[in-house]
Amino acid sequence: MKSHNRIKAGSGYRLLQDPEVVGLMVIVPLLVILPVLLGEAFIYHVFITICLYAALATAWNIVGGFAGQLSFGHAIFYGIGAYSAVFLMQAGITPWIGMVVGAAIAALVAVAISFPCFRLRGPFFALATIAFLEVFRLLALHFSSWTGGAAGKMVPLHIGWEWMIFRERSPSLMIAAGLLVLTVAVAVWVRHTRFGYYLVATRERESAARAVGIGTVVVKLKAVALSAALTSAVGSFHAMYLTFVEPQAMFSLVFSIQIAMLPLIGGIGTLLGPLLGTLIVVPLTELARGWLGASALGLHGFVYGAVLVLIVLFLPDGLLGFLQSRFPAVFGKQKRHAADLDAAAGDAAPFARAARQTQVSDAAEARSMGSGDADDWIVSAENLNKRFGGLVVAKDITLTVRRGEILGLIGPNGAGKTTLFNMLSGALRPDSGTVRLQPDPGSVVIPRSAHAFAQAGLGRTFQIVQPFAAMTVVENIMVGAYLHHGAFAEAHDKALDVASRLGLWAYRDTEARNLPIGRLKRLEMARVLATDPKILLLDEVMAGLNQTDVANAIDLVHAIRESGVTVIATEHVMKAIMSLSDRIIVLSAGGIIASGRPADVVKDPGVVEAYLGKDFQYAPA
Amino acid sequence: MEVFWQLMINGLMLGGLFAIVSIGLTIIFGTVHVVNFAHGEFLMIAMYIVYLATTSLGVHPYLVAPPLIVAFYVVGLLVQRFVIQPLLEARDPNVQIFATVGLSIMLMNLALLLFGANIRATPGEGTRALIHMGGFRVLSGQLVIFGLTILVVYLLQLFLAKTHLGRGIRATSQNRAAAQLMGVDVLRIYRITFGIGLACVGLAGALIAPMYPVAPTTGTYFVLIAFVVVVLGGMGSLKGAFVGALIIGIIETLSSYYIAPSLKEVASFLLFLLVLIFRPTGLFGSGQAME
Repeated sequence: MKSHNRIKAGSGYRLLQDPEVVGLMVIVPLLVILPVLLGEAFIYHVFITICLYAALATAWNIVGGFAGQLSFGHAIFYGIGAYSAVFLMQAGITPWIGMVVGAAIAALVAVAISFPCFRLRGPFFALATIAFLEVFRLLALHFSSWTGGAAGKMVPLHIGWEWMIFRERSPSLMIAAGLLVLTVAVAVWVRHTRFGYYLVATRERESAARAVGIGTVVVKLKAVALSAALTSAVGSFHAMYLTFVEPQAMFSLVFSIQIAMLPLIGGIGTLLGPLLGTLIVVPLTELARGWLGASALGLHGFVYGAVLVLIVLFLPDGLLGFLQSRFPAVFGKQKRHAADLDAAAGDAAPFARAARQTQVSDAAEARSMGSGDADDWIVSAENLNKRFGGLVVAKDITLTVRRGEILGLIGPNGAGKTTLFNMLSGALRPDSGTVRLQPDPGSVVIPRSAHAFAQAGLGRTFQIVQPFAAMTVVENIMVGAYLHHGAFAEAHDKALDVASRLGLWAYRDTEARNLPIGRLKRLEMARVLATDPKILLLDEVMAGLNQTDVANAIDLVHAIRESGVTVIATEHVMKAIMSLSDRIIVLSAGGIIASGRPADVVKDPGVVEAYLGKDFQYAPA
Repeated sequence: MEVFWQLMINGLMLGGLFAIVSIGLTIIFGTVHVVNFAHGEFLMIAMYIVYLATTSLGVHPYLVAPPLIVAFYVVGLLVQRFVIQPLLEARDPNVQIFATVGLSIMLMNLALLLFGANIRATPGEGTRALIHMGGFRVLSGQLVIFGLTILVVYLLQLFLAKTHLGRGIRATSQNRAAAQLMGVDVLRIYRITFGIGLACVGLAGALIAPMYPVAPTTGTYFVLIAFVVVVLGGMGSLKGAFVGALIIGIIETLSSYYIAPSLKEVASFLLFLLVLIFRPTGLFGSGQAME
């Protein structure tokens, strides 16, 4: 037995193992200590600006990095925060309350404008955020009696902590650093909990994320709400610090783009990247402004743009990615397991070992209890119809799957197997008809979406593997394990367990994009098994495997069934599906043409005709 | 009622101008599948070049068009070769966006550095003369733009439909891998397409410069309009961009008169968002916002 390096200590210890968190814990205090030591007003100003921009960049990164939704509209939330604080201040209410109110409004606005835009991909999401920002900016300019219009608006100068406005710089630095600490803490929390794993999984492959039970839209909406609220809080304070607000600056496209640039330069989607990017760009800009003044108007902007283009071309993973690849010992995230990799080379029959190790779970007892009475079905599809344009791909398909059986689904190419699979797993909504699940005897559910199917206990694999490419093998499996294990340590243990059962132990810290196709197929299986499914849909898991692995895979599927899981499988490897299945359903041209024991089905003249054409009707099966 | 029809004509003329600005963007997107966020800044640079040529050499702005078209074609080749092409296989498609955004920031600030923030007006040279047509008024420059836009759209359609190179571009835009298998050098097609797209921007710059003064931020105004037009017409569709531009021209003119001048763009942006969200393929067709 290999020793599992399980994490026994608390989550604090786990965070300290992340070099990025350690980096943050070193750099952030320095941002306060250095200006206090140097004591100069201009230095204070530079560090306050660094803290604020780093906070904005870190907040943006939750949406733009973790969730991969490129927003050029974050100034909307910044502006909302600024104006909320100013409006309330005019009514005699402290900006501390304005900050909270602004954050709440920003979160609501973020949800309202993001929800319809999530259907859009890449540049189109970015374009939509720009359009929303322009609408906000133009409206703010138009309603000048409230916003001050093009002339802007001075913030009433009340001094003191209550009003966030000070004669000296040091209290402002404390507040700015406090906002940075808050934002970074939220980002670290997001990245190291189930929420963050779900976000990254959604970014990497939305369909696969749904298939392991992630409500992808809700997860993304939570991220934008969080990011918007934090951005708004920074905006509230920044308005007090600048003591001036104007629509042109608060809802500025250029400002939005600057915020997005910082994480990209430092390392997008990382924890330390946004701060690194800020540390490079902001001092440069502020110094250029201080030294060159108006004589070099545009110079720092030109350098900004040039740096952005160069980074994208030559350091696409940002500065942090560069450091990680150059100095893996210091910054590296990926632990190497050379010894394990050697061991894996001799690891000939992982599927078989997995089969031996798979244990009988509670569900198996449920199966034995339920058999024989009216509750013995687990999946029931009624009158499923689906057409794509004029092509009918499913006509009136009705089928029932019994608890604990292995049902094989076969048919010639184009028969509608994948369509049926997609309808049974919620990935595709039928034009008419219903799919009912009875995961536990007596509790019938009709899931409405792919993630609801997964949550009800139906897991599936994809014919074309869908790994979360940027995540390691263990992280991939953890995304599945999180469905029933909310805590990191439990999900991590579960994932390691599944990884070792499926022969992926040696690859546990390898990024999925670096795995060969055979391992990816196992990873696909591992991820879905980690969700503890009660019904397992296997879409051509044996395609492309060699003979030994096919035999092992058959053993594995039998073992999975023995553990109480009902299996529905499609397969082109005819020998495999015949020896695997208790029952076979044959599809042809979108309809069921035969159903029964494997030995009977192959003799059915209709089946022979569907596969080989009419002339072969009387050929021996 | 007379006012309304005059506004409609103004809107159509404005639409013609928006169309010539948008053609290059839609061509590049349709084939290279890159949204060129620096599109507006290239237009702004073209307008500055026309301004310089006319004020220092005293030539008519339209005479700057031919050399500008050639120069911008070459710039397009270079941008595609050295900025976009290395990013075609990038893991994260968002980096292409950042690359063109970076380019746009560079160009905008370059203009600021060289010309300052002041507005520069190219001499009108007769392009701002009023022409009376049956009781309605248009500017001569607008009429030229409108006519030339139709001609350019027609010629480009002809080029895409009838020539070998044009068919190569269409094949590449529909399926890059298949075109490659058929022996099309897709990287060359991309370079040429980007060149053609920017050549259109060069032409647009020469035509617009005498009508509009130029400042470093001029590009932002036009690129946002161009995004709206191109999404409305269906990304990649020339005819769609033309019709979309006319629609936006009319909407801006009418909302400016009947609602408020400061809200005219709000109407376009709201239409843009509605189209993006509810009909991302655009009004006329085969857009690719959803893929």
